[in-house]
Amino acid sequence: MKCRSIYKVSFKLISALAMVIPFAVNAAEPNHIQIALSSTNEAVSWYEEYLDCERVIDRNDAVVCGDTNIEFFVGRTVGGSQGSAVDHIGFSVEDLDAKMAELESVGVRGSGVRLIRFDDGALVRDIPGLFKIAFITDPWGTKIELVQDEAVIGFHHIHLNSVDPVAALDWYNQVLGGERESLKGMLDGVRFGDIWVLASLFTDGRPGITQGRTIDHIGFQVADLSAAAAQMNQLNVEFMQEPMVPEGARSEVNQAFILGPDGVMIAVVEPGWAGIEEEAFIADSSDSEELYVVPRTPWGEPDFQGIWTADAAHGIPLQRGVGAGEAGELTPEEAAARRERGTLNSIWGYDREWRDTTLGYVRSAPSTQAAMVIDPPNGQLPETTEAYKQLAANAPPRIPPQRARTPVDLGTYVRCITRGPVGMMMPSIYNNGLQIIQSPGNIAIQKEMIHETRVISTEPREGFGDGLKTWLGDSHGRWEGDTLVVEVRNLNGRTSYLGSSEDMKLTQRFTRIGPDTLRYEFTVEDPAVWTEPWTGMFNFIRDDSQYELVEYACHEGNYGMTNTLSAARTLDAREAEEADYQE
Amino acid sequence: MVIRLKPTVFLPLKALLAAFLLSTSVMAQEIGNYDPQEAWDGNPDINGVWQAIGTAHWDLQDHEASAGLPEMGAIGAVPPGQGVVVGGEIPYLASALEQKQANWESRPTGDPETKCYLPGVPRATYLPYPFQILQGTDKIMIVYGFAEANRTIHMNVENPEPAPLDTYMGRSHGHWEGNTLVVDARGFNGEAWFDRAGNFASSNLVVTERYTPISPDAMLYEATIEDPTVFSRPWQIRMPLYRRLEPNARVIEYKCVEFSEEILYGHLMKREESEE
Repeated sequence: MKCRSIYKVSFKLISALAMVIPFAVNAAEPNHIQIALSSTNEAVSWYEEYLDCERVIDRNDAVVCGDTNIEFFVGRTVGGSQGSAVDHIGFSVEDLDAKMAELESVGVRGSGVRLIRFDDGALVRDIPGLFKIAFITDPWGTKIELVQDEAVIGFHHIHLNSVDPVAALDWYNQVLGGERESLKGMLDGVRFGDIWVLASLFTDGRPGITQGRTIDHIGFQVADLSAAAAQMNQLNVEFMQEPMVPEGARSEVNQAFILGPDGVMIAVVEPGWAGIEEEAFIADSSDSEELYVVPRTPWGEPDFQGIWTADAAHGIPLQRGVGAGEAGELTPEEAAARRERGTLNSIWGYDREWRDTTLGYVRSAPSTQAAMVIDPPNGQLPETTEAYKQLAANAPPRIPPQRARTPVDLGTYVRCITRGPVGMMMPSIYNNGLQIIQSPGNIAIQKEMIHETRVISTEPREGFGDGLKTWLGDSHGRWEGDTLVVEVRNLNGRTSYLGSSEDMKLTQRFTRIGPDTLRYEFTVEDPAVWTEPWTGMFNFIRDDSQYELVEYACHEGNYGMTNTLSAARTLDAREAEEADYQE
Repeated sequence: MVIRLKPTVFLPLKALLAAFLLSTSVMAQEIGNYDPQEAWDGNPDINGVWQAIGTAHWDLQDHEASAGLPEMGAIGAVPPGQGVVVGGEIPYLASALEQKQANWESRPTGDPETKCYLPGVPRATYLPYPFQILQGTDKIMIVYGFAEANRTIHMNVENPEPAPLDTYMGRSHGHWEGNTLVVDARGFNGEAWFDRAGNFASSNLVVTERYTPISPDAMLYEATIEDPTVFSRPWQIRMPLYRRLEPNARVIEYKCVEFSEEILYGHLMKREESEE
């Protein structure tokens, strides 16, 4: 334990991490980071255990990591730090390989650490001339870079996202001080003592403002706030909050909030500062852009649990009609008419009364989406390859049901085996329910149709070997921010989606974009069949209040199979009889 | 149609069962001392991949080695095994015992397992395959490999709601009693068997399951079976469930439909080259 009142990094956990660093206007020093989360006690323990920070005496909501304090406060966040103006924070360890091996062995179940792998699957990357780096997120969504920089062990850097990194770093240097230097001659930055502020070019629009994200703000410390504020005013720095001692603060504290480049909220505090009450943040939280806050499970993962249905998506064609233009949406009336058109007559002999989508108990309005394919942007599947065209041209004719010799002729859907890895998620005329249940590091996705359940680990895990392939394959999941990304491998290739081959690579993305909306995107890469990858999308709509998945004992009740084969054999017998008669 | 039992019939049976269990719960006493690791909600952490070991899937009761399918040789034979029925006896009513015998005779084609049907409760638990438990926020899911069966255990409903309709896997409601997950499963369709020996129940079946951690890698599984149309009193099975310790232990989808089609539809198939 360590008692320290000078430097603080406050982290907001549950939803925000605030970090304050010592500062120097003309000597501001980064002094804290604040993180929002669901339990400050847990956060203190976590940072103590995994990042070698030290508990601050008499505090259950702060740790000190080197000279930087991390403070936690309970609050809702609008997402992890990644993609916000403070993308992540960095810690340096003596042996990064050992550290990552340790974290991997503990696993998400024990620690809540989520490991982020590089494209090649490695956890650690050695950057020649720099050092080894790795990435993790804490259980509350704060992205953390781990580096092996012998020069400084412990808290290492704050990494910004910026549309103009050079200007941003200049701003920090000018307003807050520090030395404008280059880290190992490779990374442009501002050095505040042992701590670096680094910046990367953000190319995907503008980074999100930090306030309300897991790294809520960063803090710098000054000797005299009045003097610093005066100087900042001269530099036209935008104040979010003028210097003041907030009511309800843990102790007397003189602080101001300024807005840094790209929307970084920065606290500027005087020595003696000993903590900021969460009320202080809540009170002055401005009406920033309305962003949906993905709820968290009690253990800190995005919470997708509940019952969802694809009823509203039923009727969305896969592809946009040729020449339909780029319009992505139908009017609600057009959407309803489309669905109605598609269900006027019986489908495979299933009359209206069978179909959820034509009965009154589907609550959500039909989707106005014009087509599922969102990439290519014209809404149409890419060209098929020459090889596939030849294959398709030479394919044997499909046996009609009335000629079915065995169940195999009728296909895996009619046999109640599966609609395949792509098809199983698709909207259908009934049994569109999707139930999701999560446990730490695992997510089960249960589809009502036929009844198929996949348990997807969101921790890296050893996959199936080459010798094991299944109908639905081996699902490898990971969280990218609040999106569940699932790569499906080891497919047995015995089902085909529109001609897909056994080498198809399927990647699925699930994102809760609203309280009742789960966006589902699926990318199919199959170079043997399509000249480029394509992506489809539709939404599942939450329906916890009335919908319950009912056991679909499809095979057990497959009277259709008996009847179809029986009819085919009757037809055979009749034809044989007629042939005899002719003779 | 489900026949509901009159409560007056039930009370003495319950009292009888309680006395019966009291006398045999040695294992239950031993487990009292184990302090299991806690899940996020403070209840025991039973997340993970589990499996029963034994021969209960062949026969819940003591059984000798016996011949199976002759064409499979020793692979198809029934291995000997010790029963898991507390007290040894399954208290069939006379009429039901006849049905059990009929099931035994017809088992090569009559057993729902051979037809790849959903296995029901408690049979899903001790089929010789792993299953995975996920402790969600207000529901627990158990995912089984065989026939891709699964159960949702509703933990957030105070009083068990009636099943919307009778099913193979039934409807399950759970709650914690100390370190024990107690699950009330009912709403069954009466189609499932308990084992390959033809033990069975009707749609009046109510199964009360108890999952109690006894070590980091083992749970005691107890299931009390009540069905007054088939049994003269409630009875119980009891066995440990073991955590699968392989780091890559998984429940693998076992889509067994295709292996049942010959039995179910063979008489309707046209025998010639037929390829997928």
